[in-house]
Amino acid sequence: MDGQTFLHTKKILLVDDEPELLALVAAILKDEGFSKIVTAGTVKEAVRVCQSEKPDLAVLDVMLPDGDGFFLLGQLRTFTDIPVIFLTAKDEAADKLAGLGLGADDYIVKPFLPQELSLRIFAVLRRSYKAEEPVVRLEGCTIDFSRAEVRKNGEILNLTAKEHALLETLARNEGRIVTVDGLCEALWGENPFGYENSLNAHVRRIREKIETDPSHPVSLVTIKGLGYRLNVRK
Amino acid sequence: MKGFGRYVSRHLALFLAFVCGLALCNVLIFGAVFRNVIFPGEDAASPAGLLEETAAACSREKITEEMAEKLREQEIWAMFLDETGTCVWNVELPEEIPMHFSIQEVAVFSKGYLADYPVFVWDAGDGLLVLGYPKDSYTKLLSNYYPISVVRRFPAYCTLMLAADLLAVFAAYTFSKRRILKNTEPVIGAIEGLAKGEPTALSIRGELSGVADSINRAGELLRGQQEARANWIRGVSHDIRTPLSMILGYAGRIAQNADAGEEVREQAVRIQRQSVRIRELVEDLNLVSKLEYDMQPLQKENVRAAKLLRSYAARLLNQGIPEGCAVELEVAPKMESRTLSCDARLLTRAISNLVQNSFRHNPQGCTVTLGLEGDERETVLFVADDGVGISEEKRRELEKKPHYLESMDEELNLRHGMGLLLVRKITEAHGGRMELESEQGKGCKVRLKFIKNIQNTQKRIANL
Repeated sequence: MDGQTFLHTKKILLVDDEPELLALVAAILKDEGFSKIVTAGTVKEAVRVCQSEKPDLAVLDVMLPDGDGFFLLGQLRTFTDIPVIFLTAKDEAADKLAGLGLGADDYIVKPFLPQELSLRIFAVLRRSYKAEEPVVRLEGCTIDFSRAEVRKNGEILNLTAKEHALLETLARNEGRIVTVDGLCEALWGENPFGYENSLNAHVRRIREKIETDPSHPVSLVTIKGLGYRLNVRK
Repeated sequence: MKGFGRYVSRHLALFLAFVCGLALCNVLIFGAVFRNVIFPGEDAASPAGLLEETAAACSREKITEEMAEKLREQEIWAMFLDETGTCVWNVELPEEIPMHFSIQEVAVFSKGYLADYPVFVWDAGDGLLVLGYPKDSYTKLLSNYYPISVVRRFPAYCTLMLAADLLAVFAAYTFSKRRILKNTEPVIGAIEGLAKGEPTALSIRGELSGVADSINRAGELLRGQQEARANWIRGVSHDIRTPLSMILGYAGRIAQNADAGEEVREQAVRIQRQSVRIRELVEDLNLVSKLEYDMQPLQKENVRAAKLLRSYAARLLNQGIPEGCAVELEVAPKMESRTLSCDARLLTRAISNLVQNSFRHNPQGCTVTLGLEGDERETVLFVADDGVGISEEKRRELEKKPHYLESMDEELNLRHGMGLLLVRKITEAHGGRMELESEQGKGCKVRLKFIKNIQNTQKRIANL
């Protein structure tokens, strides 16, 4: 069972006062492979459904007939700490801060593309619910994050703490570019500067462990001027 | 302000002309009224004339009857004193006047009055002719002796006094002008502000407080209308979101639906693409109107410009870019650590608009370069492409022609396209400026230039 399928088993609560939009979002998520979807149209209903259905993630509209989404989040937080994504027609930065400050996990502004919505939901789910089998398969090797090991050609190579953190960051964003800045922050904290050379050194050592031909990498590839990308074997 | 100063100076010239005219008028009126005094002798009734006439008409012994009659008519008395001071003859001599005078008495009255009668004397050779006018008919200046030096200096005194007076008038004028300027300056500043659409809050006491109130009211009205416009745009952009979400969502589902025909899916992709355009337009419109009216507080933080560009480029590539297009990054090594105090979200938005513009205008594909350059003073972000570029004519049009959002002239052939306008607004809100450089067939390059320490030169400060 790979990570994606595991995440598809999660139950998602959709709250919006617009029935048509609820139907659309539910349809989009069904297309994406989610089978457990519950919906609610008001704050009251949302609280009730949340208590009875125990969803794993909630997508909340900000404007609801009997209160706003932030109020609803406060209500939900009294009994659950499931991840929450706001879906709203307001793009004011203040709203955004308020949303994230309240402990929301992400924020999607209407109108949105279906791909955008499912990407964000997957990202939040992935962050919140680690796959039970934290193994990533690459071209020519596999990485077991729980043991910090790389298995290549029957050989077992150990990852250092920094290498583990770096690979994990890249694996979380598999197939997507992570900037040099993003990686440095993951390894050395907020606003690191001047760590590019150290980062390069770590990348070189990781390549020696995971790549069949480290001088022609296929898994951990450089995106010139920007950062790196980890290509995962499906 | 200068225009007003000139107005006041013209005012001064008018004022001086008025003063001169008034002085001339006074002189003329004075001359007309006191003509007799100024030109004596013309009129025989004046004391000098009458004295001469009387002297001619009398002798030591007697006076002619006609002359005596004439004197009586005018209620004038006359007497003739001989060398010893004894009255030889008289005409209507009042009783209180004695008939003999000592030399001292003659000396005293000849200069002034005799028993309160203003008297005038005439040396008749063999005696003294004295004419006495009725009491209170003439006044005589008794102290008519001045040092000659004073009299000589009199013209100089007059000139000096006049100069001093003029100086005083000018000083008073300057003072009052300054006061007026001081009071009107804020008023004029506020009116100029109103003309630029800036908010006003005048507080003036005194005569101009009414004007200040009116200006404040006008400012509030203007501000209210601007806010109403911005709110209206915000309302529309808000209400359009949910229906647009549905269009985007269902078009997306059709595009992914394997059961739909190839053609149908292709059309769904087009619907989706155009809907995304509408979304961008509405968002741009909303942002432009909010920036225009200072309703978008900048959430500024110190951001590494290189990091901002890289994050945006990575996100862009992760989302996918049109076929045939490429994105490159060019950061000058010395600019790697340069920070900008900016609203990262807005600045990213500006960069994104430029990149999307390049993609849109080059459907055949192009390479877009995001870059960071500059020197000690200046930070320059640029977006360049190697696409079709724009003609010089079009470039000038983009720079000079007002956008339809910024103009009320319906006749004018106005420029459309919100993307570039928003980029300029965002750049200007950060105290920077936008420069567009392009040549037909040789791509297009837009630079956003920010002076370092933009928080100091910056007008709009995030009020959070």
